This record gives sequence, C-alpha cells and structure tokens, in this order.
Amino acid sequence: MKALWTIAWKDFKTLVTSPIFFLTTAICTAIWSFNYLRSVSRFAQMSSLPPQMRQGQELNIHYHLFIDHISLINLIFIFAIPAITMRLISEEKKSGTYGLLLTSPITATSIAGGKFLAGFMVSLVLILVAFVYPLGTRAFTDFSMGPLLASFLGVCLMTGTYVAIGLFASSLSQSQVLSVILGILFNLILWLISQGSQMSDNEILSSVLDYIHVPQQFFSFLKGTINTSSFLFFLSAIGFFVFLTQRVVESSRWR
Amino acid sequence: MIEVKNLTKRYGDRIAIDTLNFKVKKGEIVGFLGPNGAGKSTTMKIITGQMAPSDGQVWVGGDDVFEKPIEVKKRIGYLPETPPVYMDMYVRDFLTFVAKLKGCESKKIKTSVDLALEKTHLTEVSNRLIQNLSKGFKQRVGIAQALVADPEILILDEPTVGLDPKQVSEIRKLIQALKGHHTVVLSTHILPEVQASCERIIIINQGHIVAEDTLEGLTSRISGSKRVRLRLRKVNGVVDKLNLLNGVTQVNTNGNFMDVDYDGSDQTIESISNLVVSDGAGLLELRPDDVALEDIFIRLTSEGGAR
Ligand SMILES: Nc1ncnc2c1ncn2[C@@H]1O[C@H](COP(=O)(O)OP(=O)(O)OP(=O)(O)O)[C@@H](O)[C@H]1O
Ligand SMILES: [Mg+2]
Repeated sequence: MKALWTIAWKDFKTLVTSPIFFLTTAICTAIWSFNYLRSVSRFAQMSSLPPQMRQGQELNIHYHLFIDHISLINLIFIFAIPAITMRLISEEKKSGTYGLLLTSPITATSIAGGKFLAGFMVSLVLILVAFVYPLGTRAFTDFSMGPLLASFLGVCLMTGTYVAIGLFASSLSQSQVLSVILGILFNLILWLISQGSQMSDNEILSSVLDYIHVPQQFFSFLKGTINTSSFLFFLSAIGFFVFLTQRVVESSRWR
Repeated sequence: MIEVKNLTKRYGDRIAIDTLNFKVKKGEIVGFLGPNGAGKSTTMKIITGQMAPSDGQVWVGGDDVFEKPIEVKKRIGYLPETPPVYMDMYVRDFLTFVAKLKGCESKKIKTSVDLALEKTHLTEVSNRLIQNLSKGFKQRVGIAQALVADPEILILDEPTVGLDPKQVSEIRKLIQALKGHHTVVLSTHILPEVQASCERIIIINQGHIVAEDTLEGLTSRISGSKRVRLRLRKVNGVVDKLNLLNGVTQVNTNGNFMDVDYDGSDQTIESISNLVVSDGAGLLELRPDDVALEDIFIRLTSEGGAR
C-alpha cells in the first residue's frame, strides 16, 4: 500500500510538470473558454426574451448552459486523457526503468494501482480547471449546486474509466504513440458499444450491451441524479481495466 | 546465499542459458565472466525475479525466487545493463524514490540516500536532472540506486561500463569494500575487472559454465608456464639465441617488445637476462606479464572450447 502511494506520487509529480500536460491543459482551456463564452451569450439572449417566446420551456441554467459545457469536457477527455496516460507504463518499458519496478519488493497490484492513481490525480487537476467555468458563473447568478455536484461526480467516474483504459493501453507496448491511439480507440468503442444491442439477436448479449450503455449511465449523472447502479457500473469498469493492467504487469515476470 | 539449479532459458528455440548450476556463498564476491551473448544478463534477470526461467530453480537466502518474490527482492540490489534511471528526475529525488520502493524505513531514508551519494561520489550533482548528466554519471546513479537500500546481495551487470579509469578504480575499490558485509555477483566481459575485485570467477560461454574457480586456481591451470615481457634497444639477433635457451618455450617479438614464455623457474629468468645483457641488445625493461590468464579466457570461450 505504501509502495502504491510512492509510485502514484512520483508519477503524479512527473506528469503534472510534463510538457504534454501543459499542452493538453492549454488546448482544453482554449476550447472550453471559446465554447463557454458562446453558450453564456446565447443563454443571456434566451433569458432576456419574454417567457412566452421560449417555446414553453422553463429556463434552467444547469440544463441550458452547464450540460452543454460538461458534454464538451467529456468529448475532449476521450482524446485528452489517453495523451496524459500514454507514458505511464510504455515509457518505463522503453527507458529500462520497468525492470527497476519488477525487481523491487512490490506487487503488480501496487504498480498498476499506483499508476492509475497518478493518472487520475493529474486528470482531476484538469477536471477542476473545467469546473471553474460553472463555478465562476456563481459570482453572477445564484443556482442550486446539487445537479452540478452530481455532474462533477459523473465526470470524475467517467474520467477514471478513461484513465484506467489509457493505463491498460500503455501497458501493452513500449510505444507512446501506440498507447495513445489504442487508448482513444478503446474509449470510442466504450461509447459506441451499446449501439450493438439493437443489432444483436442474442438476448443475453444485447442485455449485457444494454448494461454497458455508457451514454445513458453518464447522462444520468449530468441530469443531477446519483444512482447506485451507474456508480457501481463505473467503479467496476475502472476496476476491470486496472485489473487487466495488473495482469499484464504480472505476466511480464513470467515471460 | 544464492543457489542456481539446472537453470535454462530459451527464447523461442534459441537457448540463451543451458542447465546452469552454481552457488554463491554469503559475503563472497563472484565474477561472471563471458563474451557478448554468453547469457550473463539473462542469468541475472532470472535471479532478480524479473524474468522466469524455462526450466530450473533459483534460491536466494533460502527462498525460491518464484515462490517468495517479495522476500527475495528485499534482499537484492540490482544494476541492469542500462542504468534504470528516470531522465526527468533529480538525482536525490530518484534515490529517495528507490529507497522507498525497496522498503527502507522512512526515518533512515535520508541517511541512506546521503550514504549512497557519498559512496558513488555523486554528492555534488545530487540536485541535477539525471538527463543532464554524462553517461558515466548516469552509470554511477545506477550503482547508487542498487546500493541505496543497503541490500544483502548486489547483482551488478557490467558495473564499470562507461566510466573513466579513475572512476573504474573507485568503483572497484567500492566493490572490494563491500566484501564480507555483502554478497556480490558482478558480470563483465573484460578480465581485469574480475582480477581486480573478485574472489571467485565463473566463466560462461554460449550459455554453459566452462570454468569455475578462484583466481589462483585459474592461474595455476596454465601448467607452470609463465611469460615475461622485455623491452630492448635492438631486437634482431637475440631472438634465435633466446629460442635455443633451456626452459624458453616461445618467443614473440613486437617492435622493440619481446614476449618470452618460459617454464616459470627463476633460473631461466636469470639466464634470459644474462643472455640479453651479454649480447649487447640493451635491456630497457623486464617485467612479468600475466596476459596468460587472458589466454585461458580466450581459449575457454572461443568457439568449440572446452565444454
Ligand atoms: N529478449 C530476447 N529475445 C531473444 N533472444 C534474446 C533476448 N535476450 C537475450 N537473447 C539472446 O540470449 C543470449 C544471451 O544474452 P545475454 O544478454 O544474456 O548475454 P550477455 O552475456 O549479457 O552478453 P553481453 O556481454 O553482450 O551483455 C544472446 O544470444 C541473445 O541474443
Ligand atoms: Mg549482458
């Protein structure tokens, strides 16, 4: 457990000071700022309209402003998180430091877990940056924090899943480029796999695919509800990919 | 301390090491000598638990490496062929990280790191980024990380590669200072390395152990024959006379130098020097040459050598 934290802290410090993290943060904030300002002005326009012209809609800042921003966070993270996690293991394999980890008195679980934690902590920095936008809005107008907090939890769980997937992709080879490509690919598959349920004839398969309906699980958080099954869904997805990584690390001792 | 039994490693259908058997006693310094591709690094990777053998077993301190990997790894400090350093870390931070990984008590970490820095003469660069260090300094950081947790056993894969002569001798001294407290296995493909620091030598070639002996034992294998090296003002003429001398087995000339193999008796040395002086060849230098050990090494490890 101590070793897990040792690895997590070391990798966190390395990642958070790395050029790739600065670059990612810069690109993300540029896109978010642009989009958020646009949404805010649209929202302001809408709210200045008399109620009868809003097509009967109740204007709600969470639905009409924040969800749009949060969906964009998610969309960008599908690509940005693999770029952050790509070096976690492949870089160690390439530079020869992987052997240092394998010959240290630590378990494969500490290695995989520590690296996941490092990746997650770095991503959390990015998530916090992303939530500065809606929180900053509170300076101008009051709104209820509940749905925003639920969304925050949802984004954390979704991002944790991307980190675990990126970590697994990184464990597969020495190449960071391959890691990032595989990471993005797996993330996209995760989002699209539920589409398969309509196409499949097999009942068991389609019910399984219905369960891994990531969009549905994720959007339930954005709507402000925290339901246990979605919570557990993401936790098990994270656990599953960290476990796969642990197997890959463990297997290198047996080759 | 270390026992290796029938150790075999195959990469595909290529055999890297073939049924190796040897033991290393506590406190011993053992040299693993062999040409490129002999299987030294492979053996070391298996002993350190980084790789599984195809066959055979390894015990370290009484525990099987593959049944109790954590216990075994606590006892071992390992320097691989390329120093395992993080380029984007500072020297001190890196050693602190390794000390924590190896399970050092938190109270002792700072002193352990300082000691390792001191032993490897890295104190001045301790606040520099590893990527900015020269190759030799990186190698020293590699040695420091093997030492930092003060392990019972040190496995060093070519520890002096890339170091300057002064450092080479420092590291050799360091290794000799470890004698008694630590068990050391080091690999090398150069003979002076083992001559300088090892008590026992295991010569390995193409995955087989071809000789295993103490330094003296190996030297005495050269059936009494010895060699002196002479430096003369003029070589011509003396060669034939030397060849006729009793006890001289072979004479080779190389410029003003002359290597004379003889039966090893002091009497022969005396007659050699007498002859050279009385012949007016101008004796400038006469010294014993231990290149003979190099010869056994080459003989043992050349293709089709003793198996
Ligand atoms: N990953 C690998 N895949 C295939 N063959 C390998 C691998 N690693 C080593 N070998 C082969 O195993 C043999 C032994 O290699 P090893 O690295 O143990 O030699 P060595 O004695 O350390 O040599 P050197 O002095 O060059 O370091 C060589 O023939 C090498 O080609
Ligand atoms: Mg080698």
